[in-house]
Amino acid sequence: MKDIERFRKRAIFHHWWIVLCSFLLAVTGLFMFMETLSPGAMGGYSRIIHRFAALGFVAVPIIYFVLNPKTSLEWLKEAFTWNTDDIGWLQAAPEYYFGGPEENMPPQGRSNTGQKLWMVVVIITGVVFVITGAVMMFSGVSGVAVILHDIAFIAGGAMFLVHFFLAVFHPRMSEAMRSMITGKASEDYVKSHHGKWYEEVVAKGEQS
Amino acid sequence: MTNHWIDLRNSDRIMIIGSNAAENHPISFKWVTAAKERGAKLISVDPRFTRTSSKADIYAPMRSGCDITFIGGMIRYILDDMQKSSPSERAEKYNMTYVTQYTNAALIINNSFEGALESTHPGLFGGYTASKNGTPGILGSYNKSTWNYADSTTPASDPALVNNTWTAWEDLDSKCVLRLLWENYKDYTPEKVEEITGCPKDKFLEVAQTYAESGAPGKAGTIMYAMGTTQHTYGTQNIRGYAILQLLLGNIGIAGGGINALRGTSNVQGSTDMCLLSHILPGYLQVPIHTDQSLDDYIARAKKGKDFITPQGLAGDKSASWWWYNDADPNYKKYLVSMLKAWYGDNATAANDFGFNYLPKVTSGDDYTHIGTFEAVAAGIVKGMLVWGQNPAVGGPDSEGERKALEKLDWLVVSDLFETETAAFWKRGGANPGSINTEVFLLPAACSYEKQGSISNSGRWAQWRWKALEPIGQAKPDLEIVDELALKLKELYTSEGGEFPEAITKLFWDFREGAAEADPNIAAKEFNGYDWTTKTALTSFGNLKSDGSTCSGNWLYCGMFDANGNNKAKQHDPVDKSLNQIGLYSGWTWCWPINRRIIYNRASVDLDGEPWDKDHPVIKWTGSITKWAGDIADGGWNPINLSAEGAKYLPFIMHREGVGRIWGDGRAEGPLPVAYEPWESPLETNLLTGVEDTEANGTPGFNDPCCYIGKMEMDGQVWNERGTPDNYPYVGMTYRLTEHWQAGQMTRNLPWLIELQPQPIAELDPVLASQKGIESGDIVEVSTARGSIDAVAIVTKRFQPLTIGGKTVHHVGVPWHWGYTGQCTGISPNGSSGNVLTPHVGDANTTIPEYKTFLCNIKYVRKGGE
Amino acid sequence: MAKAILYDATKCTGCRGCQVACKNWNGLEAVETYNWGSYENPKDLSTQTWLKMRFIEKGGTETDNMRWLFARQSCMHCTDAACVKVCPTGALHIRTDGFVALDKDKCTNCGYCVEFCPFSIPRLDASLISGIGDKATKCTACTTAGLNRIDNGYQPACVNTCPTGALTFGDRETLLSAAQDKVAALKSNSHPNAYLYGENEVGGTHVLYILDDTPKAYGLIEDPKVPAAATAWQDIIKPLGYGIVGVVGLGLILNIMVARARIISREEK
Repeated sequence: MKDIERFRKRAIFHHWWIVLCSFLLAVTGLFMFMETLSPGAMGGYSRIIHRFAALGFVAVPIIYFVLNPKTSLEWLKEAFTWNTDDIGWLQAAPEYYFGGPEENMPPQGRSNTGQKLWMVVVIITGVVFVITGAVMMFSGVSGVAVILHDIAFIAGGAMFLVHFFLAVFHPRMSEAMRSMITGKASEDYVKSHHGKWYEEVVAKGEQS
Repeated sequence: MTNHWIDLRNSDRIMIIGSNAAENHPISFKWVTAAKERGAKLISVDPRFTRTSSKADIYAPMRSGCDITFIGGMIRYILDDMQKSSPSERAEKYNMTYVTQYTNAALIINNSFEGALESTHPGLFGGYTASKNGTPGILGSYNKSTWNYADSTTPASDPALVNNTWTAWEDLDSKCVLRLLWENYKDYTPEKVEEITGCPKDKFLEVAQTYAESGAPGKAGTIMYAMGTTQHTYGTQNIRGYAILQLLLGNIGIAGGGINALRGTSNVQGSTDMCLLSHILPGYLQVPIHTDQSLDDYIARAKKGKDFITPQGLAGDKSASWWWYNDADPNYKKYLVSMLKAWYGDNATAANDFGFNYLPKVTSGDDYTHIGTFEAVAAGIVKGMLVWGQNPAVGGPDSEGERKALEKLDWLVVSDLFETETAAFWKRGGANPGSINTEVFLLPAACSYEKQGSISNSGRWAQWRWKALEPIGQAKPDLEIVDELALKLKELYTSEGGEFPEAITKLFWDFREGAAEADPNIAAKEFNGYDWTTKTALTSFGNLKSDGSTCSGNWLYCGMFDANGNNKAKQHDPVDKSLNQIGLYSGWTWCWPINRRIIYNRASVDLDGEPWDKDHPVIKWTGSITKWAGDIADGGWNPINLSAEGAKYLPFIMHREGVGRIWGDGRAEGPLPVAYEPWESPLETNLLTGVEDTEANGTPGFNDPCCYIGKMEMDGQVWNERGTPDNYPYVGMTYRLTEHWQAGQMTRNLPWLIELQPQPIAELDPVLASQKGIESGDIVEVSTARGSIDAVAIVTKRFQPLTIGGKTVHHVGVPWHWGYTGQCTGISPNGSSGNVLTPHVGDANTTIPEYKTFLCNIKYVRKGGE
Repeated sequence: MAKAILYDATKCTGCRGCQVACKNWNGLEAVETYNWGSYENPKDLSTQTWLKMRFIEKGGTETDNMRWLFARQSCMHCTDAACVKVCPTGALHIRTDGFVALDKDKCTNCGYCVEFCPFSIPRLDASLISGIGDKATKCTACTTAGLNRIDNGYQPACVNTCPTGALTFGDRETLLSAAQDKVAALKSNSHPNAYLYGENEVGGTHVLYILDDTPKAYGLIEDPKVPAAATAWQDIIKPLGYGIVGVVGLGLILNIMVARARIISREEK
């Protein structure tokens, strides 16, 4: 079966790098969020991990953006470009993800609406994390900053659970993980999950 | 203190004047607060609003140095109230029995006595002779021959006063003490008080009325005073003023009463008892003078003018006159001989007057006090100096002058915990070490926690303290230092001889008894006293003998040991067993005399031995078998009404007239205090006496007529210049802060305290500050005719300009804690001690320097800050 | 049994023995200071200064008598302690006697207590970036481990040294009742604004102040509150967060069970 390239290597690295930083940030953050986990804070030394991870969390996307301005912008554009198909998707998705028929799902682009939603959450919470975190790191704790940081953590955390679950466990997303490791997905999978994008890829391929 | 710290809680009216007790005696406020909780009223009289004032019910501002005007005004208020009240009202408001029977208010004074306010000698009593003008020394002196009672041994009393039948002043004998008191103070009206002191009339009257309420029988008022009272050219008369006030109000001898000198350090009382001062031997015996050729000469001189006085017409008819009790073999002699025995031991025999002539004698007329000593140093008369637990380079008046004087010494020994400013005088700012030839020795001394021994607190309690730590390094307790020094001197005088070696070689000096080091317990037993033969400790000064069979280094402390040789200064019974638990705690340590916690306590009961104040009985007569209950009664005799004719002992047992002295002939400048101006005054005319200040060095009648004006001349420079209001328009004063201690070495080397008060300050009122362009936190220079210091300005409404004789007078206040050594030093190179500013002038009776009032100027220097 | 420290400002002479005793007992270092035109120093609390006295001058005009007020500035030991509420590690905790204790080993220097204390009491002195430095500090009412006076039967060091009895230590109920009497007496004795500070503030504090004037006059915060943000954060947002995450988690578990079953059954068809 023919594979289609979903992600470039650098994008994959970028994804996993963010995963790594976020994991460290989340775990060390959880030490400060849940009292039962607070011994993990090691009397504050976890802060060092948190801040190095924060550095990675900020620096690598910036570097990525600088090195890949075009694709980065496209990605941003994609995340924030929403149309009626997205509404259709949102209406149809619950039934679909609970194992319902696929027919009602509108065809999706390179990223489906759910993925775009996740991208939006990542971008917004990321920005909130970075700004509030920077405030606390450079000018000390402020009430607004720490609360927004926590709200972002709750929102991002909840959405992450969904993302993680779909990517790893959901039977309908069988190739998600593979594509984020190898960069490739089967043509069938792409055709069924990202119909519009498949058309674009095919059209592009025919042109070239 | 006539009373003691805990007793303050029994007071109904507390007047703190000349003291900032909350700041300088913080623990005293434990008891002041307890009194306030009982409903006592607290009055603070002070030129500045202090932490004491912050707790007061009434705060009265007063120009520094105007105590006599203020107290005189209060005396006048009380006398006026007494006179205007009907006899029955009078007896309700004031304890007239006390006033007439226990004081000399009713006694008749010499008819030739001339009061101070007469036109021929304004501001002066009759019999004054001024010294030559322009010369330093005492301004003048009195012939006191008219200051005594009309009948010098059996003075009459005024029956109208004694029987409380008078209504007008004219009803009283014109020379009766109370009448003379009125004559002396009748011009001290509230308006006059306001004009001179700056205290608003209403405020003054509020103070006078509130405090006078303590005059009612059964009520108690106390006066707490300290250096703000004493450190004036008329400091002793300030205290006389308080004593008169307290006697008028029946406040001496009772619980919650008394006049209470808050001593400046923990053991000032003890060191005074042990003859810290130059005019006394231990136990307040007179120091021998050069004309005392024998013991008999000495005793005769001490006895002169001390004949028993038996007042007539009072219920009491006998005075103990304790010093001279038993005419043939007076106590005075027993005490002195026992002291000589303690000092010279077996070398003190009847044949050699018990070694009387081994004692050093002073030259009568010379001044051996602090001021006089430094003048002698400056003049090259004194060549060597031991400075022990003192830091005159910071604490002495005109201290730049005294520092300079130290350069004239051949040698200087300083014994202290730190290198004090005195020890380091040769490297102070402005000094040239190369030209100073004084050899300086610094002996490291142990601090109070590193040695054992007794201290006597202000309440006269001798309290034993044990060693908590070993001294650091080579530091030694004072006793060990003095012991080694004395033994070495003895050895040197024995082997090498010298000037009058016997004074040293004949000393009985054994504070080791075979041990390697001197033991304070041995010293304690010696000053308590013991039978010379059996070595058994004596339990009372009643046991002392004049035949050389007993020794006692200090008769006042005789009785500190029990017959078994136990030192009662070490006893700690925390249970108060006094009547009504008035807080005597007689089982807690021991106090002189013979553990009497409140002295003159026979004045606390009526003629039948019943306490005036039933709630706070000090002593109480319980019948001919059980006798007195409560405190150790002042003399164990029966109450006056329960004694036989001729044995009705009057209550003030130390006085030869047996009663409290409203009139007192002992002071240099008069039997009653008169309001004089400080040596440096913002006024040109004394507003009470009317005398103008015409003399360059102080004018009798404007200033205290007998005060001591010091002067030092060194290397062509004259020290102790007198400033005038033209050049130095503001009233300066020095004081202490809670956070620092005396000359500062013990606190300026303790970071926790440095943190609290890191820099010398100068406090001033906002009006003066704005005139001078000074803001809080600025560095300012305060200057006097003697010198100047830099300090951080604190501009505060706690200082207020006062209107004095129609003119505005500002105060500038500076603490004197800072110097130029230690972890925290002053701002200017001279260390910024307030004493750089103070004059080298002294009280007429004690020569205590006038630290508390002088003229100064102030100017902005620069911005302060980190 | 709830304990408390009672500070009676009418008995305080501003001697600052308490300030020094606190440093002495707790081994705190002297702070480098300069005189800024006041007796008051150090200027502020710090990790080395857990208690300081404020000196406030009032009046001194023709109509208004001069007053010099002294006010203790240190931990109030609130019943509704914002610091405890926001402390993420339990380093700050309320003891059974009501004092807010601090377990330094658990403290992470997060600074939340510093931010949210309505009295601005806790201090920390750590590098912002690394967080390394002095941990959060405040008065622990002498309950600090190893320096615990209270549990060894002693009074707090400040109380122990107070010469006038302005500071007392004991059962809160007893002290409260004595303080109520004193304030009532002050009110009827020419101090109409007398106030018992801490009786009800932030749930009742375990440091009580007898004031002869308003809290404002003494430089104290009138009607202090646990900051609304702290309450919203700890009592609404965080529980909501747990709720959301919980619901999402449950939803996902449900989803996988349902989805698997339905997909399998469809494939079987």
